[in-house]
Amino acid sequence: MDEKLLEVINTVLQNRGRATVAELNDNHDLRKDLGMDSLDLAELTVRVEAECDVDIFADGLVNTVAEIRAKLS
Amino acid sequence: MESFFIDSLRDVCISWQTLLERLATPRRYSSLCQSDDAYTIVEHIIVSMLAAEPIVLMDYDMSPEEQRAVLETSGLSIVEKDIQLTRFDSKDNLLAALREASPEWSITLFTSGTTGRPKRVSHSFASITRAVRRGEKHCDDVWGLAYNTTHMAGIQVIMQALVNGNSMVRLFGLSPEQVLSGINRYEVTNLSATPTFYRLLLGQSAVCPTVNRLTSGGEAFDAATLQRLQTIFPNAKITNVYASTEFGALFASEGRDFVVKNGLQHLIRVDDSELLVHKSLLGESMVVDGEWYRTGDVVEVLREEPMTLRFVSRKTDMINVGGYKVNPAEVEDVFRQHDSVRDVRVYAKANSVVGHIVCAEVVRSTHELNESLLRSFLSERLQEFKVPRMIRFVDALSTTRSGKVKRS
Repeated sequence: MDEKLLEVINTVLQNRGRATVAELNDNHDLRKDLGMDSLDLAELTVRVEAECDVDIFADGLVNTVAEIRAKLS
Repeated sequence: MESFFIDSLRDVCISWQTLLERLATPRRYSSLCQSDDAYTIVEHIIVSMLAAEPIVLMDYDMSPEEQRAVLETSGLSIVEKDIQLTRFDSKDNLLAALREASPEWSITLFTSGTTGRPKRVSHSFASITRAVRRGEKHCDDVWGLAYNTTHMAGIQVIMQALVNGNSMVRLFGLSPEQVLSGINRYEVTNLSATPTFYRLLLGQSAVCPTVNRLTSGGEAFDAATLQRLQTIFPNAKITNVYASTEFGALFASEGRDFVVKNGLQHLIRVDDSELLVHKSLLGESMVVDGEWYRTGDVVEVLREEPMTLRFVSRKTDMINVGGYKVNPAEVEDVFRQHDSVRDVRVYAKANSVVGHIVCAEVVRSTHELNESLLRSFLSERLQEFKVPRMIRFVDALSTTRSGKVKRS
């Protein structure tokens, strides 16, 4: 699961020419630390949904990696 | 013997003489016309015109349940009776009778609307043939039938061919190879089809010199397709037609811009960038609020005198990405500028973050093309919010019943 999430996050970052990350830290803030904007978050949602069948933003915004993990567990 | 109808796939060739004989045979007539055979449909239309009986065209793939629901909501009743038509001793006599179709005659079709059940539209002979050109220079035309024969665009082609006594060659539902070899084998001169139909031909290397007129309609046309088409059809004059089931063909252009003819000027209006058509141009069953029918087509007025329009998009086609409006046709045009993109569909996917995000399916000509290569190509040419966030590679695009590319 972690590997897949890392891959998806890096795909989104790469698509916008942003720096990728070697590993995920629970405290990583998607916007502040990883530099994602709303379009990136939208893409992340769709890609996570395609992989795991869960809409991580369905009930409001998610800010950190830990919050995504919680949704997927 | 002079051909009337050729179906190369079914290996059927009907001559005008055979048609005359078939028409003279007594038959049971039903006003409901639903068949998977193009010739059967064409003959049914001719019989209805000669008998001055109404005809209702319905898609063959409509389930009995859909059919019942559509008939019920449209309030149509199906008539059945025995008929015997007068015998015509020549093609010319038959054509003369067809050109003087009874004012009582009507043809009913259903629009392939994107929401809800299909809507009914009835036309008289006058309104269905408004855009038909008749004359000496059309008498040797050979028409390729590239549209579904139960839809407006297909009927327009059939009427054009019938009024001028031309041969028709069935080309829809064939593979690209079969289409091009059919065109060359039967020396088709005129072709009218959707941009999607033409795009499917682009991967072929054949050249079709007999085609001298090529018409496109349905979706917005793009420049890249036009250019590649001219290589396959070197002698064709390419025209774009603006038409719909509600009012038939309205105007034609040679490039992307449409000039509204003088006779139509007072029947066309633009309100808030949307094209409005006066109700006098519509089929008789259409219900309109007030005098004007809203087409849902977004246009740009390039000149007032003479009125010159360019089609920008369908109102409903616009994808709203977090408040930004994306025109899928524009994004598709950019995709097509890439040499390895054979066809593309840009569509919206509902998204909990930004409302909708832009997605695309692509038919590629080489597997070397991947998502990140395409994305950087697009990013150089489009604003970031217009670049699809998900690009899927597929073998063929999903299309609607009438051959138009689905938007959602």
